[in-house]
Amino acid sequence: MKTSLVFTSIGVFLLIVFFSACVKDTDFEKANNIVLTPIVELDLLYFDLPAITFFDTATSIPVLTVRDTTDLPFLNDAEIRNNLKRAVFSFKVGNSIQREFQVDFEFLDDQNQVTSTIQIPVAQGTVSNPVITEYTENFEGQELINLTGAGKVAVSVTIASSNANLDGSIKLQSKTTYYLEL
Amino acid sequence: MRSLLRLIIILWITSAISQNKQVLYGMTDLPQNLLLNPGSKIPQKMHFGVPFLSQIHLNGGSSGVNAYDIFGNSDQDINTIIRNKIFELSDRDFFTATQQLEIINFGWLAKNKIYYSGGVYQELDFILYFPRDLAILAWEGNSDYLNYEFDFGQISTTGDLLSVYHFGANKQINDKLTVGVRAKLYSSMLSYKSTNNRGTFVTTLMDQDGPNIYEHTLKNMAMSIETSGLASLQDLNGSGEVRENLMGRALFGGNLGLGVDVGATYDITNNITASASILDLGAIFHTKDVESYSVSSNYTLDGIELLFPVILNGGVAPPYFEDLEDEVEREVVIDTLNNLYTQLRPIKVNASLAYSFGRSLDDSEDCNCKKSSTAPARNQQAGIQYYSIFRPKGPQLAGTLFYSRRFTNFLALKATYTVDSFSASNIGLGLVADIGVVNFYLAADNLLGYQNLAKAKSVSLQLGFNIKIDRE
Repeated sequence: MKTSLVFTSIGVFLLIVFFSACVKDTDFEKANNIVLTPIVELDLLYFDLPAITFFDTATSIPVLTVRDTTDLPFLNDAEIRNNLKRAVFSFKVGNSIQREFQVDFEFLDDQNQVTSTIQIPVAQGTVSNPVITEYTENFEGQELINLTGAGKVAVSVTIASSNANLDGSIKLQSKTTYYLEL
Repeated sequence: MRSLLRLIIILWITSAISQNKQVLYGMTDLPQNLLLNPGSKIPQKMHFGVPFLSQIHLNGGSSGVNAYDIFGNSDQDINTIIRNKIFELSDRDFFTATQQLEIINFGWLAKNKIYYSGGVYQELDFILYFPRDLAILAWEGNSDYLNYEFDFGQISTTGDLLSVYHFGANKQINDKLTVGVRAKLYSSMLSYKSTNNRGTFVTTLMDQDGPNIYEHTLKNMAMSIETSGLASLQDLNGSGEVRENLMGRALFGGNLGLGVDVGATYDITNNITASASILDLGAIFHTKDVESYSVSSNYTLDGIELLFPVILNGGVAPPYFEDLEDEVEREVVIDTLNNLYTQLRPIKVNASLAYSFGRSLDDSEDCNCKKSSTAPARNQQAGIQYYSIFRPKGPQLAGTLFYSRRFTNFLALKATYTVDSFSASNIGLGLVADIGVVNFYLAADNLLGYQNLAKAKSVSLQLGFNIKIDRE
């Protein structure tokens, strides 16, 4: 009699435990609010041009502007365009040439139309005392939409004036901080 | 991408250890006890499991987090909660899921006093260690982690779907000692393994002399994933074909392996019994449909260097970006191999020390003369159990205190209290009922968790039906 009572009560207990098993005090709808917001730092372009770049010794004619272009196919990648909320370009230009410079970035779309530009005025320095110019450009909202319409960038480096006796070099370093939302 | 990440997060949280069947271990009233210790004492003359119903085992667990931690009602932003959890967890925390389904199970006492048993079961086994650094990188990016080496070696995961054919023998050697051994043939349907990875990723802030502002470096990277049975499934159309293909592999069509279980039970005194078993001492030899991928690299990225070449009319600028892509492909070598590989099964060790007391079960019989020389079976037992399973990053351990009691001829109960990687408050209960020749059992642990599964870090459930014929 006693054992059957124990049996019954334990059996009932087990049944209650298993049938009352539940998930409560939780809100799985919250999963919809999960957003990853990584901030990614990535190197971009760099160059180091000696002063002689800006003077053609063969013809003795100054070359005031040099220009180069590279594809940046990740900029207008559909995935990036959907997930990028903000981009900050940072530049560091060390100049040991006794001339002022202007460095222009033209972001171009597939039809080679300019969608965005960045212009960096560079102060003059000397070989013994190079001057470092730092510059940042922030892209958000419409400016970001314009930027991510581009898949390549053309870089022009323009020297104020030039002759065969200039020394030193202009060295540019750059990175982008991408604020993503996944 | 976003929904995939969500799915992974939800899977992490709702999945769970360990194949520890602490409630069933040592329950001699249950034929499945032989699969936990082939050297167990066996009271019955023969048994056979009801096909597909003799053992259903489900288990899930995660060592550091439960669903309530993340999705519980609170005013805190879920992203803040997840972020805090990522930093709280370590790369030794893990998520596991195990499932077993017994298809056939039978056994009989032969004339030579050896109890033979055999059967087939299907098993799913999955473990993922928490790749903490990768989670931080995905969640936060590298911006706040300049000069920090993200460790790719934290990636460690295995998954297996296999069927196991087994046959064992059990013999009472003398009054005190019972030993048993079980041979196993594994037929692997699907398997993957990515362990022993290494490598770091670091973004270093350079000084003015460096080529660019940062250096992004992959250091000593050597990562691999071995798969078997997966490559050919990609060529199949639809889930129907996949299912048929997998069924074929379950029937010896997969990659085969061999293993052994050994175990023993020893009566130290009339009241004290020790037992131990080692399970799945074996390996699977992956020879068919094997595909491995490996990545190795020591690579530094500085960005794109513009050279400003003098371009004559009609010339084109160098393809800087394509050149960079080519360089990355050259330097970050991804190999696809079809090398055969051998995979060790996760070895499981069980041990127990039990003290028997209470009413002698033999006394209730008309005559106990036959068993007079052996320790009389008592209706109550209390003791301790030990369990460990060898996982990629070392063994996972569990300790259990138990009390079991036979109430009548047809009902036995066992209660357990277990401390393991998941919790220190794991209470389990098991019930075995013999109704005529039908043997039914139900066992579950983490009973406290059933009140709110969201708060449980692991749950485990076993149930099944057997036909059992007791010894005269």
